[in-house]
Amino acid sequence: MSTFRFFILALALGLLTAATLAQTPPASPPGQTLRAAPSGATADSLLNGGPSAWVQVPAKRISLNRTPPLFETDEPAVQEISTADVRVARTAGKLVVQLSWRDATQDTATLTPAPNTPPETRFRKVQTDADDRFFDAAAVMFPARSGSDAMAPSLQMGDAEHPVEIYYWNAARGPMLMEAQGRGTTRRTGQIFPAAAAYQNGQWTVTFELPELSAGTPMAFAVWNGSQKDRDGRKYFSVWQVLE
Amino acid sequence: MSKHQYAMVMDLNKCLGCQTCTIACKKLWTDRDGTGYMYWNNVETRPGLGYPRQWDRIGGGWKDGMLQPSPLPTMEDYGYPWDYNYEQRLYEGSRKPVMPSPAPTSGVNWDEDVGSMNGDENYFFYVPRICNHCTYPACLEACPRKAIYKREEDGIVVIDQDRCQGYRYCIKACPYKKIYFNEVTGKSEKCIFCYPRLEKGMVNACAAQCPGRLRFVGLLDDPESPVHKLVLKYRIALPLFPEKGTQPNVFYVPPFNPPKRENYGKSILEDPRLPLDYLIYLFGPDVKDVIVRLEAELSRAQNGGRSELLQLLIGRDAQTRYHVRPQLVQIQG
Repeated sequence: MSTFRFFILALALGLLTAATLAQTPPASPPGQTLRAAPSGATADSLLNGGPSAWVQVPAKRISLNRTPPLFETDEPAVQEISTADVRVARTAGKLVVQLSWRDATQDTATLTPAPNTPPETRFRKVQTDADDRFFDAAAVMFPARSGSDAMAPSLQMGDAEHPVEIYYWNAARGPMLMEAQGRGTTRRTGQIFPAAAAYQNGQWTVTFELPELSAGTPMAFAVWNGSQKDRDGRKYFSVWQVLE
Repeated sequence: MSKHQYAMVMDLNKCLGCQTCTIACKKLWTDRDGTGYMYWNNVETRPGLGYPRQWDRIGGGWKDGMLQPSPLPTMEDYGYPWDYNYEQRLYEGSRKPVMPSPAPTSGVNWDEDVGSMNGDENYFFYVPRICNHCTYPACLEACPRKAIYKREEDGIVVIDQDRCQGYRYCIKACPYKKIYFNEVTGKSEKCIFCYPRLEKGMVNACAAQCPGRLRFVGLLDDPESPVHKLVLKYRIALPLFPEKGTQPNVFYVPPFNPPKRENYGKSILEDPRLPLDYLIYLFGPDVKDVIVRLEAELSRAQNGGRSELLQLLIGRDAQTRYHVRPQLVQIQG
């Protein structure tokens, strides 16, 4: 390759990178705040008490973005879900977050038993009845280190200096606590957290019990649509919402 | 590039389709929850549907340096595994015969021995399949989690079950559809070339149990190994679908089948019972040269000469068929 052609290629690559960076939402856009309403209800009643426990907690409608194709070989995906409603209630030592969004299909399954069931308790091997489907899921992400560092981490699962915690819920597998230090590093911690989910009239309502988070903590939300074969970074995501 | 590469050669002329390898593998590795439909080793009748059905036509592999992911095979393509109502018949007083449930519509080895017709003569043969532990694994490239790796010490391709998140990009990328998703664990699994056995100096379970003695195992880069001799020295073993671009490390001695009824004494290529086009479809255009070489060896032996190659292919004892060299393979880390 001649020097000139190499130069042109490098320039094109540079412009492409700049364009990509420009598309990345700013870490903490002004006005993207989320009010946590103090609630007299217990975390348990917020989780399991139904809609009546949430009447005093205002909802904020947030925009959901569809991730662009991550790989050249990705199948295209249309934007079927454009918004989600978030409610945040602050109760004794906990932050309870409710995320609801419209989804025409309920993609879930009952998976039993747990993978580590002792052999003697089994009558026969449980068989999968599908291998080509994906389940609806949702997640709340926030910085693993709270405190003075006000800058929100990268939306792509933070980075080595700014690790994130991800409270992930899956329609078939339930809640699981994950942690990440950048794209591709998401790891199941093996811990779970209290969560509740309901699907009614074409709408998912998922409630997460998080630890107490101080005002100023940024939070981001994600939704996976199983019928669109969402998994991995193929999903809907919000920009950072700063907790008030 | 790995330092060494374990490889397997299967002589399709010796395969009797008994599925002993399949059962050996299943009892050893996939007798767990969520693995009912998983056959890390399966034996399929060719021509035929294969498992999952039509896997050879779905897609996957490489083209011009780009991954060619296919759609995911559906459970219908694998066939829903069924169970039998033994309890009702044996313990609950049912007078009805034992029946499978759900009603089988497809499954592993569904079209066993159906084969195809060439003129008025039927033909078929068996192709045992495991993960090909490719030199350029498409599954490895496709995994965004970097959960799949090729072992530096012996070239075996494995899925790290801690890193795997069950995204199934690997299944879409594998042109041989030899990775299976376990819905119970939410992770993908595949043949591990029995590396825990190899590390102890024992050969793969599928090979050890094979009554037809058709499997040869060793390091491709070890000149003393039978696989080196069959693939590189005598050049009579070929990979399946070489055009998929992954460079498999499982090779096949193409099947000869007897000649047509009226053709005894003629070259198999003159009027083959197995249509050459079909063998070329499976093994690529080199299959013709391989058949010429094999016929020459056969002819020499039939005329009283000695053929070292045929002695090797007969493979009377385990020392001939297997060169497992744990002392050569230094486990990394």
